[in-house]
Amino acid sequence: MFLSEIFSDPAFSLVPWVVFFPLAGIILNLIFSRRWEEKLTALTACLAAGGSFVISLLLMLALTHHPEGATITLLEWINTGSLQINWAFRVDTLSVTMMLVVSGVGTLIHIYAAGYMHYDVRINGDPSRYSRFFIFFNLFILAMMLLVSADNYLMLFVGWEGVGLCSYLLIGFWFEKGADGIANARAAKKAFLVNRIGDVGLLIALFLMFWNFGSLQFDTVFARAPEVAAATPAVLLAMTLFMLLGVAGKSAQLPLYVWLPDAMAGPTPVSALIHAATMVTAGVYLVARSHTLYSLVPAAQTTVVWLGALTALFAATIAVAQNDIKKVLAYSTISQLGFMVAAVGMGAFTAGLFHLTTHAFFKALLFLAAGSVILGMEDVRKLDETNLSDSFHHSHVDPQDMTLMGGLRRKMPVTFWVYLMGALALAGIAPLAGFFSKDEILAAASQNGLLVFLVLLAAAFLTAFYMGRQLWLVFFGKPRSENAENARENTALIVLPLILLAGLTVLGGLLNFPGSLALEGWLEHTLGKGINGEFNSMVAGISLIVSITGLVTAWFVYSRYSGEIKKLDPLEDMFGAVFIGARNKWYVDELYHAIIVRPLEGLSQQLAQPVDQGLIDGIAVGFGSLTKAIAQSWRSIENGFVRSYALALLLGIVLIFSYLVIR
Amino acid sequence: MPTVNDFLLILPEVVLLIWALLILLIDLWIPDTKKYYTAVLSAAGLVISAGCAFALLGRTGSAFSNMVVLDGFSSVLSILFLLSGLAAVALAYDYLKRNAAQRGEYYTLLLFSIAGMMLMASANDLIMVFLSLELLSIPLYILAGFFRPRLASEEAALKYFLLGAFSSAILLFGIAWIYGSTGHTDFPGIVASIDGGRANYLLLLIGAGLLLVGFGFKIGVFPFHMWVPDTYQGSPSSIGAFMTVATKAAGFAALLRVFLVLFPAEAPIMAGILWGLSAASMIFGNTVAIAQMNMKRLLAYSSIANAGYILMAFVPYGNPVIAQEAVSSALFYLLAYALTSFGAWAVMIALEPAESDGLLLQDFSGLGRKYPWLGAALLISMLSFIGVPLTMGFWGKFYLFKTAVDGSQIPLVLIGLLTSLVSAYYYLRIVMFAYFKPGEPQIQPGRWASVVAVICAAGIFVLSFIPTPVFQFAAQMIMGMK
Amino acid sequence: MTAVQIVFLAVAALTLAAAVMVVSLRRMMQSALALILALVGVAVIFALLGSGFFAVSQVVVYIGAIAILIIFAVMLTQNSMSPEHSQMNPGFLYAALGSALLFSSLVFILSMWVGFYAIPVNLDPSVDTITVLGLSLTDPQGFALPFEIVSVLLLAALIGGIYIARDHHRD
Repeated sequence: MFLSEIFSDPAFSLVPWVVFFPLAGIILNLIFSRRWEEKLTALTACLAAGGSFVISLLLMLALTHHPEGATITLLEWINTGSLQINWAFRVDTLSVTMMLVVSGVGTLIHIYAAGYMHYDVRINGDPSRYSRFFIFFNLFILAMMLLVSADNYLMLFVGWEGVGLCSYLLIGFWFEKGADGIANARAAKKAFLVNRIGDVGLLIALFLMFWNFGSLQFDTVFARAPEVAAATPAVLLAMTLFMLLGVAGKSAQLPLYVWLPDAMAGPTPVSALIHAATMVTAGVYLVARSHTLYSLVPAAQTTVVWLGALTALFAATIAVAQNDIKKVLAYSTISQLGFMVAAVGMGAFTAGLFHLTTHAFFKALLFLAAGSVILGMEDVRKLDETNLSDSFHHSHVDPQDMTLMGGLRRKMPVTFWVYLMGALALAGIAPLAGFFSKDEILAAASQNGLLVFLVLLAAAFLTAFYMGRQLWLVFFGKPRSENAENARENTALIVLPLILLAGLTVLGGLLNFPGSLALEGWLEHTLGKGINGEFNSMVAGISLIVSITGLVTAWFVYSRYSGEIKKLDPLEDMFGAVFIGARNKWYVDELYHAIIVRPLEGLSQQLAQPVDQGLIDGIAVGFGSLTKAIAQSWRSIENGFVRSYALALLLGIVLIFSYLVIR
Repeated sequence: MPTVNDFLLILPEVVLLIWALLILLIDLWIPDTKKYYTAVLSAAGLVISAGCAFALLGRTGSAFSNMVVLDGFSSVLSILFLLSGLAAVALAYDYLKRNAAQRGEYYTLLLFSIAGMMLMASANDLIMVFLSLELLSIPLYILAGFFRPRLASEEAALKYFLLGAFSSAILLFGIAWIYGSTGHTDFPGIVASIDGGRANYLLLLIGAGLLLVGFGFKIGVFPFHMWVPDTYQGSPSSIGAFMTVATKAAGFAALLRVFLVLFPAEAPIMAGILWGLSAASMIFGNTVAIAQMNMKRLLAYSSIANAGYILMAFVPYGNPVIAQEAVSSALFYLLAYALTSFGAWAVMIALEPAESDGLLLQDFSGLGRKYPWLGAALLISMLSFIGVPLTMGFWGKFYLFKTAVDGSQIPLVLIGLLTSLVSAYYYLRIVMFAYFKPGEPQIQPGRWASVVAVICAAGIFVLSFIPTPVFQFAAQMIMGMK
Repeated sequence: MTAVQIVFLAVAALTLAAAVMVVSLRRMMQSALALILALVGVAVIFALLGSGFFAVSQVVVYIGAIAILIIFAVMLTQNSMSPEHSQMNPGFLYAALGSALLFSSLVFILSMWVGFYAIPVNLDPSVDTITVLGLSLTDPQGFALPFEIVSVLLLAALIGGIYIARDHHRD
């Protein structure tokens, strides 16, 4: 493709296709989907995502021989004096790892969505949105690929904004649904606004970077970082902290995590792909990518560690008290992201990315399985009987409420088994993937400091507890509603990706198995030697004991939960007010509303009346009507007579001549 | 004797002229019900000629003892003219059918006019400049009145013809002064005479001023713009679209080459005149456009303003470095403007019923809801006209403003920025009608106009991601100029 | 003052007066005749400048063909301009002022040119200018290309003329 550039491996020049494949998918579906059947639309989208995955695999193979990677410049983008930025793709072990996760998990979820959305668009009564969904989904893959394959911060930012846009569009996919008909639209708006706060932070960081480094290209910035750190350490601190604000927004960390639970308003495949497996890990990727900057500022690193650790514990406490099956998983995601952020903050990049990868597997699995449960609770049979008509009114039972489930183990055996895999992996039970990755983070934390270690351990205990609680509420005991009674297993298209993901969940630990440490050696080429969370049998033992304790506690508490409808949660009996607080998310949303939203609204009310409508409008309208009046009067010059036109021409010539003569 | 090389260098023009004559003959045997073939044939001619032009891309040389030159500048513009011609054919086919004016002469005359434009871009002798100007104008006078005996069309043609003849006479007068000053009409001879100190400076200056008036008429800058709104409104819309883009580009082609090659030394004096024309066009065009409710007239005033923007970058052309940058930016802007303008006209033509003098802005109400593709094309075109990022219009203005800043024309840049702001008012009003007002626009039979609209909009959007390569290409192409 | 100069002044005055009459006379027919007079004056000036060929072409083409055509057109159409109507349009003062300014500035600029006062040199009578003109129009190293362009231009004008003249109501 680019003969002028010589790469160590020709496969590297394929990298732009990770973006072109989804682009082709979007274009084809934009043009043809109106005429195509659903299957063809879905197939196109799946092939587009799959194509990206194949390219990522090829890149991985090429990297095993030439681990130094390459930078492929596709096109010059901006070239104006001091600012030179290209559309350039970076192939190295870090970016390819992310590409594999995004496109691999992405492809599986595309396949799942092909089946899931078939029912979802009918349950929600608008089958015409099927193709729209896949266009947005491919657009997301495109933007995410741009984000992880960028060779400079500006291109990364384009991807960053792109995934934000897709997230917004997909959260509000059923924008007219939800409580009062606007809850989903509100959730989308909330995600968008909270992310904007983070994006402003990132943007400020980029401005600072361009101001001080004169470049946004990764290599140039990193090469000059020590020099700037020596000269003006405050600048680097500000830059990293503003970047951290962006991370907190995108990866749902304290204090900007509030959008992620609401984001569950989107269809389940969206929750799985965007709000669990991939997009929310962009922040972790950003810190890992900028590790050169962070390692120069210890204060920033400490902030990152504590931000992650506190988020992990805080979100876990909320997850314990939720009744909505997806909300539990959402808070769990926030909590696990906290683990990852803490890990990359400690310098344990491998551990962070290892957990990122395994988490992508088992959390995607959990969400998809949850989606399967929800579909089961929706009672799809009725849909089939009414011939999938648009007028189908589904039952008023909330299909996501765990208190209404129970006993699904027998009704949906495959879903149960894969859910069990995912839950145990998340809880950190050996030898599933989550055990190894979480253990590495804990091992690194034990070297970092006792307090951080204890906080993370507490979070791990709560993780095991709320997953145990969920397992018991959903799958064991007796069915607590008619829908649960009638639930049944889903079609192969939905179940197949679940089984594949379950396989990855079981085997994911091999990626960085103690002793071989394949992932670590792989990432070292890009990230250098970080703090390696070496396998520490004592830490491993402790964490395993903690996890099992959590599960067993959950069993003790909930095995007796007879599940008569509206009966109190057993924990509420024991802890009372504390549990109520956790169930209400510690009133953080209400707090934000009181201290930020309401004063802002008040201020804007104050400004709107006298200042905006009086002064600003007055000026704007004044100028507007003045210009209009001028336009009307000048317009009369154009009176339609040729003689006047010729006269104007003549006067023009006279003016030019007068200028030439008088000059 | 003329060598093969002489003909090779003007091959695209020769092919186009011969093709035009063939179409004139063949059309006699094509029945009225099958005029489709004439359109396809003329499109094929344009494509073949464009193929020749592409093949010649990168070649340089002069033919017929310096009557014409071939260089990157002329090649790029030739391709732009030919593509504009293709758009004019695509826009015309359904439109002429709808207006019961399917006549083969349309295509023959269009091809003649394009050949004139291509010769104008490569003219290297003032006589060639004048003749090619006439060759491009005379077919357009007829095409403007193509809907004869409809009064508006006749009026448009007559006004254009009378004023065009007036301005041609002035151009010819200017050529006479330059000949009087230097004793030459060919560019190398004039340059040699000026460099050798044999030319009379005063006469040359007057000649330059008169040439500027002649070209200023073609590109439609204030105060030589008066014909523009009436002619665009009365002409067939496909010709209006073609004139806003191609005629303007041809005028700029001659203006840029003549002034860069012949009058670099007069730049300090000429800059004052160019400054005034540019500022007045930007202010006048953008202001009066606000008062327009007819889409065709609005686009006409917008084209006056856009001519002012292009001229702005050319004001400091005395500095050779800036001049290079100015010509590249002008080429870039012409491309952006061509896409944008054709996009907007195509949307209008797709909706314009027979026997109409252009749509009113109200007629776009409800477009976004009823025809999302056309609505999106209109939206993108309008945003590009304003110069919103992620459109080619943004980058076009960006390069023009940057050139003007590099040439330290700060007041002019400020006028440009302010008038862009003013222009947002009327462009966005169209968007407002299309998206926020209820209405039932009706798309006319035939889909070619819609296709052109969507292609242009896609071009505006997609190319905006790779502005630098496009600009570099333009810059590289004009390296060999002079 | 030589005889040639006296003749030139007389003819120039006559031409100008005739040109003014073209636009000021009330009857179209009289205007057309005044036009012929003005064209004859221009032909004489060509002859005075030693360009016999142009003088003859001026007479043959402009007087012999174009002016006759105009007279035919005037006779065939009705008098569109009735004698009662004013001949001045509302902006005529501006136009007169502009033209006067333009003319005076042109004269002013020309007066600063040394050639303005120089005595014209007679052309070498041994050179056959008609042959030179003819040869350069057909010489590919001369003006063959413009000559061909002119032919295309006239063809375009011809097609256009026919198109405009065709009776569009009939077809």
